[in-house]
Amino acid sequence: MNHAATNAETPAPNRQATMESVLRMHPGVQDVAVVDDQRDGLTAFVIPEDTYMKNVLGRAAAESSVLGKWRKIFDLSQLSKEATAASVGSNTAGWNSSYTRREIPLDEMREWVKNTTANILSLRPETVCEIGCGSGMLVLRIAPHCDRYLAVDFSAEALNRLRDQLLTLPELATRVELMERRADDLHGLEEKAFNIVLISSVVQFFPNLAYLTRVLESAASLVKQGGHIYLADVRSLPLFQAFALSVELFQAADDLPVGDLRGRIHRRMEREPELLLSPAFFFSLKERLPNISRVEIRPLRGRADNEMTRFRYDAILHVDGPSEVSFDDAFLDWTERKCTVDEIRSQLHQHPQRTLALKHIANARIAKDLAAMAMLADADAEIATGTWQRGLEPLRAPGIHPQDLLDLETEAGSGFAVFLSWAACRRDGSYDAIFIPKDLLQGTASPSIAWPMPEASACFNLAYAPGQIKLCNEILKQLEEHCSLNLPESTAVNMILVDRIPRAQDGTISVMAG
Amino acid sequence: MPDKTQIHDFVRELLTNSGDDQPLPDDESLLLSGRLQSIDAVEIVIFLEENFAIDFAQIGFDRDQLDSVDAICTLIQSVAK
Repeated sequence: MNHAATNAETPAPNRQATMESVLRMHPGVQDVAVVDDQRDGLTAFVIPEDTYMKNVLGRAAAESSVLGKWRKIFDLSQLSKEATAASVGSNTAGWNSSYTRREIPLDEMREWVKNTTANILSLRPETVCEIGCGSGMLVLRIAPHCDRYLAVDFSAEALNRLRDQLLTLPELATRVELMERRADDLHGLEEKAFNIVLISSVVQFFPNLAYLTRVLESAASLVKQGGHIYLADVRSLPLFQAFALSVELFQAADDLPVGDLRGRIHRRMEREPELLLSPAFFFSLKERLPNISRVEIRPLRGRADNEMTRFRYDAILHVDGPSEVSFDDAFLDWTERKCTVDEIRSQLHQHPQRTLALKHIANARIAKDLAAMAMLADADAEIATGTWQRGLEPLRAPGIHPQDLLDLETEAGSGFAVFLSWAACRRDGSYDAIFIPKDLLQGTASPSIAWPMPEASACFNLAYAPGQIKLCNEILKQLEEHCSLNLPESTAVNMILVDRIPRAQDGTISVMAG
Repeated sequence: MPDKTQIHDFVRELLTNSGDDQPLPDDESLLLSGRLQSIDAVEIVIFLEENFAIDFAQIGFDRDQLDSVDAICTLIQSVAK
């Protein structure tokens, strides 16, 4: 959430405190911090009051409308020829590429399913509740390893397709139970009954953070001590602009003027119909759900070059597990030496018993898009996109493909396990990596690591929620009116709705970057 | 024969609501071109269900059949036969 309203600025004494207290009087304000950043004058960061959004502004109706549309889309996709004719476990209907607007190629989907399945199996699932199981690509691969698998979805047609497939697999019939429910309606399920709650490629269809938080509260109550909530394939908020640019650059004709390209990127971001999340949201969740003991944010595995591997991540929430950190090694800044994969391999061979931790590794998967993003604002609006793009080639930063590092784990003679993290929420898509001698892991697939964390400025906006844009605009309008009635006529009002106000211990807050 | 103007006007309104006021030729791609998003296609589906009694559960769903004003008219005609 980041919605702003601005009026003209006029300095006034104690205006920060006055504005804060005036804004606090409005029933739609949960929290507010007013900052004078000297450059743009006063800025009020406002967290809207949840109950007000729900009851007064009618968020529940907006939620139902968004969910009703998505349910219809999923029902329809399962009525297609592709869905009804798909072989068991290969029903990828509805998985369309933003780049080509056509189905994501089957081999790319197979890689994604294989890697996601392997990640879940590494956590040793015994009892699984999958929220948003769709037509069951993961159910059919994970359930054979489980005692019990509860598959929940709100699309009756998706469950019909899954039921058809299960009929051909009698060995799974006693283990898999299907349930038609909305994700926020898990009432009646036994608490602490599952060691994994899986929510895969689903949260982008949730209408807002409040809905997601409700789902995760329920999910956390279903998980046994030491279990996990595994959110796979989450769309990244820090990489939102890079994603929009990447798609528009792919679709642009060579002769499209760069000024028009900028307009298309802006329009794509404005029309985005899905929920995007900052990894910082999952860390902030620990304040609300104290039984979440640890959070991991992992870039996706894979060689396929698509929007999942480029711009999405897995979030793993550990429930009621040990909270102590096992690996608190200092992270070396990769940008200082920009070492290659060969140099890292050599380092690991030389010191087979030493953990190696690197931060800020440039991400080769999206280096081209990031080079374009850095130069776009200053590019000549009249120049053709093709010409401009070819001129960017020499500016592309050297980087490392994340899978190149993950592959070091399986190389012959490698005694290291490799873990990657996107916890730091950097908008340049860079990631952090740690190489741990396997002897030190004591068999765990998910060690506790002191990963680099996001800076405070990355924690203001935790989500882009299309389902509540109208509500945000409405509350901003109300707050403007409230301020104009209660503040001196010419007091500047630069208001930004945020999800969180990260205060330091002394009460100060950092002004949002970018 | 469906009233093409009715279909055209409905699609025109969808486009306008999403901030698109460019001309709308009846044969122009809507979904595959990206002018409309899949969440907008739902509106077309509901419109067809309510106004032309089309039952997608019975006839199956093919996104290409909703991809232009002409394609939608062809779909309505084929179901009416």
